[in-house]
Amino acid sequence: MDGPNPPSIKSSRKLAWILSSVFLCALIMGPGPGLYLINDYAASGGTILRVPALYFWAVFWFAVEAAVIVAAYKLIWKDESE
Amino acid sequence: MGFTPHIVLLLYLGMLLSFGIIGYLKSKVSEEDYYLAGRGQGVLVTALTIMATFFSSSALLGIPGLVYKDGVGFLFFVLNLPLSGAAIYLLGSRIWRIGRIRGYVTPADLITDYYGGSSMLRSLVALVGFLYVIPYIIMQIKAGGYLAQRMFPDAENLSFLGMEYGIFDTGTIALSILTMLYVLIGGMRSVAWTDVVQGILLLSGMIVAGLATIMAMGGPSSFFIQLSELPPAALSVPGPSGAWSPWKLMTICMFASLATMIQPGQWMRYYAAKSVDTLKKSALIFAVGLPCCFLFGVMLVGLGARALYPPSAVSGTLLPHPKIGTSGGEFDQVVVAMIQEHVPLLIGGGLGAIVVSLILVAVMAASMSTADSNLHALSAVLTRDVYDRFIRPKASEGERAWFGRGVIIVATLLALWLVRVGGKNPDFQPFSLIAQLMFVAMAFSCQLLPLAIDALFVRRGTQAGAICGIASGILVVFLFTPFANIFLNGGLENSLKGLTSTLGKLFDTGFCGAFVNTTVFIFVSKFTKRPPNEHRNTFARDAEGIF
Repeated sequence: MDGPNPPSIKSSRKLAWILSSVFLCALIMGPGPGLYLINDYAASGGTILRVPALYFWAVFWFAVEAAVIVAAYKLIWKDESE
Repeated sequence: MGFTPHIVLLLYLGMLLSFGIIGYLKSKVSEEDYYLAGRGQGVLVTALTIMATFFSSSALLGIPGLVYKDGVGFLFFVLNLPLSGAAIYLLGSRIWRIGRIRGYVTPADLITDYYGGSSMLRSLVALVGFLYVIPYIIMQIKAGGYLAQRMFPDAENLSFLGMEYGIFDTGTIALSILTMLYVLIGGMRSVAWTDVVQGILLLSGMIVAGLATIMAMGGPSSFFIQLSELPPAALSVPGPSGAWSPWKLMTICMFASLATMIQPGQWMRYYAAKSVDTLKKSALIFAVGLPCCFLFGVMLVGLGARALYPPSAVSGTLLPHPKIGTSGGEFDQVVVAMIQEHVPLLIGGGLGAIVVSLILVAVMAASMSTADSNLHALSAVLTRDVYDRFIRPKASEGERAWFGRGVIIVATLLALWLVRVGGKNPDFQPFSLIAQLMFVAMAFSCQLLPLAIDALFVRRGTQAGAICGIASGILVVFLFTPFANIFLNGGLENSLKGLTSTLGKLFDTGFCGAFVNTTVFIFVSKFTKRPPNEHRNTFARDAEGIF
């Protein structure tokens, strides 16, 4: 019998849950209510690394989302042939 | 710029038509080949055709226009793209597997097959497709008009059959007729091939436009210093118009993204892919590459324009700077205006004119690539789900293919007529901005989501639940549009307006519809009979690829 054995399915599911949680967290913190943490500072013209705070916030949470997708691509998504 | 825009435009249009002809020569006389190009598209074609279909005129007109209007807050819209990319694999791979095994062509083929073949459900799924596609085609055609106005500002009016056509009308007609022609001739093959060229043009256009803006503002440091001096409302949420609360942005990122990825045009691209691996690679390219083109490219144009040419409030209405446009509907023109203003100063001579022309052609490519995919998808939906089922069930494949071509012609003319009616009636402008049309279209498409997720993953819903859910979702979205006022009046109209306006400020419209849709779906499914267990198990096996 070919195919993944039960422990590898289990660890893959665990990883899928972790990655989904991180992605959801990025959606809540990036465009979601997490924005309130930085909104006042951004409105006052505040910057992070010389970049307007909200722009930095968007780029940072995009990077988190992108990292999750890359990890899912490498570790979870099945690679089937035609 | 002399004749450079004319030459670049002619070369581009000639290339599109030649793709249409090559697509026709390579095609076989079958419905499946016309709609799915033989189900054999590789990674490059699949990735670029999905991106080009997704882009639309909103990528280079509507979205930067909203960034210009509402400042940094609207940047967060981009965070929907990684989720959209993930959907290409998560939803697309299951749709691909079962579509290949069972020979599906449209979304309704899959959904109605799972829920027991109801004609009512098929019609509702087809209606969702129609309600998504028509606003999308209208906004692409409008973009053609805006672009023609900018490219040929001194062009004289044309007279034809006793009617006068300004440059806006001529642009809309030219874009729609040409798009219609190559879709008619070559079907999915020519749509996908033209999408490859259009996708490459678009991605480069987005990046070049962003770089040109940064250079025009004195380099990255000076660019960001000028940005940080914007007024507080433009540096924070909900933005100067008050439209973008974090809750609304988050629900857009969660629901609008998925809605766009299950609209008929994208759904059919999953069927047309060569393998699951193709979709997996396309998902990665989309999720990581596309947001970069927005965040580090075209959105910087909107922000730069905000600093250089701030909009002003006149009698309580926000209007663009005169260098960008003259009416509230012209925020969309920010990229075109900025490029025309600054690129010739940065890159002088013939090269500057070529770069400007190429970016303008990229804007046109964005519109055409979405219009062609949507026309093609609408043709499939109306042929397979309406003509084939209710009008001529015994029609031959050739007849159905010709009916599909007829749909493309009628849909193009309908969209053109709607744009013209809107242009002639300044009092009736329900969706003056391209982005407004985009959000309405996505909200309708979002109503497919609960059914698709249930059929592909959960499999606990029933046919009655699906019909009631999708019908209530469509109704809720309709109540959010200005067209609801036609059917309602008096006290009910006022209270409904109040409710939809409050909810509309808080959440994405598609989310509101999907919430009601899902609730009704679950409730009705509790009291009605599920599809037989054997059918559900076979469906699960086919979708999940477990043999």
